[in-house]
Amino acid sequence: MLISIRGLHRVYQVGDQEVRALDGVDLDIRKNEYVAIMGPSGSGKSTLMNILGCLDTPSLGSYRLKDAEIGKMSDDELARIRNMEIGFVFQTFNLLPRADALHNVELPLVYAGMKHEQRRQRAKESLELVGLADRMKHRPNELSGGQRQRVAIARALVNKPSIILADEPTGNLDSRTGEEIMMAFENIWKQGNTVILVTHEADIAEHARRIVRMKDGRVESDTINPHPRSASGPAPAHA
Amino acid sequence: MNLRESIGIALGGVRANKLRSFLTLLGTIIGVASVIAVLSFVEGLNRFVKEKLLNAGANVLVVDKYGFITSQEAFEEANKRPDVDWGDVVALRQGVRHASMVVPQAGSAAAVRNGSKVMKAVSVGGRGAGYDVVDDLSIDSGRHLSEFDDEERRPVCVIGPEVAEELFANLDPLGRTIRVDRWTFEIVGVTKAKGKMFGQSQDRFVIVPIRTFSKYWQERGSFSIAVKSIDESSLPLAEQESRNIMRARRHQRPGQPDKFGITTSETWLELYRTLTGGIFILTIGVAAISLIVGGIVIMNIMLVSVTERTKEIGVRKALGARRRDILTQFLVESTTLSLSGGLIGIALGAGLALLVGAVSPLPAAVSMPAIVLGIVMSTAVGVFFGSYPAVRAARLDPIEALRYE
Repeated sequence: MLISIRGLHRVYQVGDQEVRALDGVDLDIRKNEYVAIMGPSGSGKSTLMNILGCLDTPSLGSYRLKDAEIGKMSDDELARIRNMEIGFVFQTFNLLPRADALHNVELPLVYAGMKHEQRRQRAKESLELVGLADRMKHRPNELSGGQRQRVAIARALVNKPSIILADEPTGNLDSRTGEEIMMAFENIWKQGNTVILVTHEADIAEHARRIVRMKDGRVESDTINPHPRSASGPAPAHA
Repeated sequence: MNLRESIGIALGGVRANKLRSFLTLLGTIIGVASVIAVLSFVEGLNRFVKEKLLNAGANVLVVDKYGFITSQEAFEEANKRPDVDWGDVVALRQGVRHASMVVPQAGSAAAVRNGSKVMKAVSVGGRGAGYDVVDDLSIDSGRHLSEFDDEERRPVCVIGPEVAEELFANLDPLGRTIRVDRWTFEIVGVTKAKGKMFGQSQDRFVIVPIRTFSKYWQERGSFSIAVKSIDESSLPLAEQESRNIMRARRHQRPGQPDKFGITTSETWLELYRTLTGGIFILTIGVAAISLIVGGIVIMNIMLVSVTERTKEIGVRKALGARRRDILTQFLVESTTLSLSGGLIGIALGAGLALLVGAVSPLPAAVSMPAIVLGIVMSTAVGVFFGSYPAVRAARLDPIEALRYE
């Protein structure tokens, strides 16, 4: 099992009020699954994503990633896990504005301590994979929204992580470009990666093979998607 | 995250905001520049003093009526002392066993004339034999004054090259006469040029035999007596012997303060050290203030930078940057910033010192330790004042930072 979550709680203190963002979540995800985590705002899906991405740790319960207990890790160990095991794709792309595409993609490898030549090579390969071989020297403000998100995907892939964790990856894109990005995720998944998609949009979640619905800090339903939408259009009848 | 990467990022930031960087660095630039400039002057003075003051008056002590006077009261008090007279000269010549030479001197300032040409405020001195050694004078043309000139109280003189130049222009002054006050002297020698010390010409003088001087200017009073010791180690002995003889001649009881003064080159060095020490402390004060102000400005701008780049810090953390990676990045950035200020300051300070040294009599020399000090100071400012913003950046919570707009 790649991810194993048992009895997960996350409690925040807001003033003198206790907010139970996660209230007992159990979830298993195997390698090379394509999972969408859905839910309205306040359902706890963002908190769950933060914990899955090792940006946050549980108040109670267990989160094991590749058999390692995340809850017990120090800040530096969490940073290393984020670096090696997690590839983030954000709604707002979050590229460094002053760095060109190549440098942005290289960044995780810099923190992994990889040598200059090697990481340059890896970053190039990663950008080629998302079809941006001819945009390496462009800065984010010289790229379209879709291209920026593809740079972000290249960055997420570059250190060959165990999980690609995408948070509303199409939220800032028009629907046509959004479909392109979803096709990119489809390809990544087909190449053997594990993709976790966090979204409140049903259309987007429909691309995943498994849909986990959150409500009030708990898993409301966890179902196999019988008719996944292929990225090119509505769900094909012959699927 | 390696260092080169961080420095690259930092320099990129400096270049991206040129005006802001310059304003940020102004304090550091001024601080370092002033330290470098002053240290250059002090170093220049040091070399100058070593070269000129010490070589000329090496192992010489001077006995006179006043000694080392620093106030009006002390001068009035010393004025009541008995004059140093020819008897003292003879006694010192006979009694100071560690002296290689005892040279009586007397002097004043007077107008010197050759026909209608007048030169004012020329130093006129009487000197005994050996003056060429203690005054470090050598002859360019003609000859030095002799014992015979002195014994016979002859009206002869040796003049400095500036006097020769001004009163005789292209003529050879040897064998000609000049008038000093009301008396006429024959020129027997012209000395070699010594140049300027502290902007003051050392070539503007007339020297006559000491007894000739006494004969004409007796009423001007007291001698000063230069005693040159055999070598460096015997200078304190020569000083003690001179003091004993002078006290005996003035019938002084033990415990009474000297009724005469003794100064050595050490006295002058002491004054010089106090003076440069004062300048030094003042500079350190000024530099410290501008460096602290400069450091606070750097800290302020780094705090702004951390806030502006909260999102970037969040992204870096999400991608695997550890606390120390972020800490290093911002420390390197503040240090690169302050070090660039330091380097500009060094260039500015050294340039200023050399420029002033070239157009004024103040000597200047830029020394390696001063440059190293400038680099160390500006680096320290960057590290010290950059650490608080850097720690703040490193401690940011990645989730909050990512959410920041």
